[in-house]
Amino acid sequence: MSGDMDDILLVFFQECEEQLQELERGLSALSDGESGKETINAVFRAVHSVKGGAASFGLENLVRFAHVFESSLDGLRSGRVAPTPEIVKTFLKAMDVLSDLVAEAQGGATVDTGRIEESRAELQAIIGEGSGGAQPQQDDTVPADFTPVPVDFEPVMADFDFGDFGFDEEEAPAAASLVVTFSPHTAMYDRGDDARNLLIGLADVAVAHGGTSTVTCETAALPALAAMETEKSYLSWRVVLPAAVPEESVHAVFDWVSDVCDVTITRDGGSGPSGGESAPEAAAAPATPEPPVPEPSAPVAAPLEATPVAASPEPQKPAAPPSIADKIMAELPPAPTPAATAPIAAGNTTARRPVEQATIRVDLHRVDDLMDLVGELVIAQAALESIGQREDGGQQEMIKRIASMKTLTRDIQDAVMAVRAQPVRSVFQRMQRVVREACSMTSKDVVLTLEGEDTEVDRTLVEKLSDPLTHMLRNAVDHGIESAEARIAAGKSPTGQILLSAGHRSGRILITIKDDGGGINRERVLATAIKRGIIAPDAVLTDDEINNLIFAPGFSTAATVSDLSGRGVGMDVVKQAILGLGGRVTISSVEGQGTTFCLSLPLTLAVLDGMLIVAAGSTMVVPVSSVVETMMVNHKDIYMLPDGANVVSIRGACMPLIPLASELGLGGYGSGGLSEEDVILVVENESGARAALIVEDIRDQAQVVIKSIEKNYRQMSGVSAATILGDGSVSLILDVPALVANALGRIDTRPSDVRTGLAA
Amino acid sequence: MTDEAGADAKLVKMIVFAVGEQEYCIPILSVREIRGFEKTTALPFAPHYVCGAINLRGIILTVIDLAVYLNVQPQADNPRRVVIIVESRNGTVCGLLVDRVIDMADVNLSEIQAVAEEDSSLSGLVMIADRMIGVLRLEVVVGQLVGGMIS
Repeated sequence: MSGDMDDILLVFFQECEEQLQELERGLSALSDGESGKETINAVFRAVHSVKGGAASFGLENLVRFAHVFESSLDGLRSGRVAPTPEIVKTFLKAMDVLSDLVAEAQGGATVDTGRIEESRAELQAIIGEGSGGAQPQQDDTVPADFTPVPVDFEPVMADFDFGDFGFDEEEAPAAASLVVTFSPHTAMYDRGDDARNLLIGLADVAVAHGGTSTVTCETAALPALAAMETEKSYLSWRVVLPAAVPEESVHAVFDWVSDVCDVTITRDGGSGPSGGESAPEAAAAPATPEPPVPEPSAPVAAPLEATPVAASPEPQKPAAPPSIADKIMAELPPAPTPAATAPIAAGNTTARRPVEQATIRVDLHRVDDLMDLVGELVIAQAALESIGQREDGGQQEMIKRIASMKTLTRDIQDAVMAVRAQPVRSVFQRMQRVVREACSMTSKDVVLTLEGEDTEVDRTLVEKLSDPLTHMLRNAVDHGIESAEARIAAGKSPTGQILLSAGHRSGRILITIKDDGGGINRERVLATAIKRGIIAPDAVLTDDEINNLIFAPGFSTAATVSDLSGRGVGMDVVKQAILGLGGRVTISSVEGQGTTFCLSLPLTLAVLDGMLIVAAGSTMVVPVSSVVETMMVNHKDIYMLPDGANVVSIRGACMPLIPLASELGLGGYGSGGLSEEDVILVVENESGARAALIVEDIRDQAQVVIKSIEKNYRQMSGVSAATILGDGSVSLILDVPALVANALGRIDTRPSDVRTGLAA
Repeated sequence: MTDEAGADAKLVKMIVFAVGEQEYCIPILSVREIRGFEKTTALPFAPHYVCGAINLRGIILTVIDLAVYLNVQPQADNPRRVVIIVESRNGTVCGLLVDRVIDMADVNLSEIQAVAEEDSSLSGLVMIADRMIGVLRLEVVVGQLVGGMIS
């Protein structure tokens, strides 16, 4: 079973992920003041689904918490509680706990019980007035014997949908005295709960206290079969529990459904031996699914022992009442055993499992598009074949077909990319939580606004964005946004604003993180950099260069190391991560007004529009997106600087001249030796800095497939990857921004010098 | 004679090839395939013994000119030069440009006579049919390719 269970569990966790996203979205909408019924219902549904799923797998902690959460949300849904900002905040916090609990169930870190309790207490406080005073304790005292219930009975629920009335529970007479009568509303079944679970829960409570329960089904309200509405609840039950059973345990059983079920609990003190009256009726046994069309006059019955087995869909055959009454007695105690083993089994399967999400959900129409294109491809191939068989060779026709096939290939490529594309929403929404947590740690009040969550990127990119963004947002809260007092003093609203936005720009995705904090204190950054030996004391840096110092390894201006930041690893790691994805980070900062980080990332990690150029005799690829213009060089425009480097003036703008071949150490060029045939490419990096590359020739423009070269070889400066050309040979893809940065002598290269200096 | 099973266990099949006048061998299990030498793409800042990169069915890998690496005179104008594609234990794939592949041989590990220190590229010498053959330590040769950034 473990294999199947694993699969199902995996599906459950995937669903949890989606539900949590849904929850996050709903709660964000609520905090934005949009408290429509649909939003609240969506939130409620999300928590309810998590709870339901978790119960099937015996994930006790999760169920218990989700339940409390759900109850509070129900208050919201029924209009008893208004979604004030405080309450939404509580819900958000509870959501964090919930998602941690899901992670825990997946084999992640254990969630601190203090946090769970705190959040639970807050949740209960929300609806505290509405529900009975005993409620807060129930969850803590009872679940030990309560929670296993859903586990082994869950499979039955599936085939029980249609038969939720008409079974009849009866038990041998109890000694006396706790009488529970309940009649579920139709709403309870609508919600997916089941009277059966309640009965089983009660039976378990009885067993836990060393007795048995007596159940009588009240069928008086049941109309004739013809008049019966299949979705309506008609039945009510009367359950007699042993005297030893405390009322709280019974409350706990009905805890989930108290709002959709009438329950009365009475101590049946001296109303005579209940055994007397119930013995004659001790006919049927509890809890067996019934055929879809019940016969009200003759309730179907079966022993309780059937329930653990009830995974088999067939209802048990009706049995003769008196003969099995004793048998039921004998069978009852063992019943919980499967319940006890099930959580263990579930526990085993959840125990250690890499949490790699290996599936994606794709809009069907995208797959359809792809399918259509593949169909086209097959047709094109058939056409080519038929041309090949023609006597006259069909040269002209062939060329035409190949051209159309070329567009087709490109379309297919786009279609596949679209399949892999995912909105950045999932990552962005996680950031809300990061900011929330950072806020509570630094006791600042910050609102994170998201923009462009629907921007789609390759899924590998989506996953890898999470860590750098977390770092940057934490930094923004911790260092960027000032304390409330400082903000008021500066004439700003005490609530900080951070904008996280995503968008496409010329084939790349641009992610900006903008805060309205104090901006980078350049003097302090400079002083710290000098103190830490990152730059020489007498260095003269531009504002931009100073800003970039915060990416230097080991840099931190924070006076103290906090939980959040200040260790001086964060931004360095961020930069490395973004570079690793083929992206760039730029900063702009206005003192007193805030800081903006721009991440520019390639849309996909697989294909690139490239310009094929020749340098040192070999063909190389320059990403088209970074080429501004190409031109023949005019010797008059080249000036030599004292240090031997050249600059070229293009329409009045000076930029460094990079002889590509010698820059890459491939030789072939003397300094400044420029032949008449050479072409220059004006290239630009993300921050707009330009340089001119001298190349020997421009061959072509083509889409190239990016192949990693670092897997089997070390990283090369100036080269980002490699590709394979049409003739099968390898060609290098140039890392233009790195080349530009080198040429400009930017400080980006300095950190690595420092590093090697320290290592030596 | 004495404990034949133990002696068998130490037998390793090696592929023997020539670089210049010298013969070398590597464990045959690390060889992926042998292919003809084709034009390579020069790599910037590469060590002098790296010929460049080639495309092996979509995987880009570097080719090491063993003659340069081992500092021996290559055979002049040899049309039989081949590239042995090897995969080292840590999964790095690269090509070794050799002058020709000779044959396979069973080498008893206990018969290898160490000639150099531990981290050298040559782990020792072995006699096969009266020929002195060097046993290459692949990890050292290949390991120098990966890791580290050159600028």
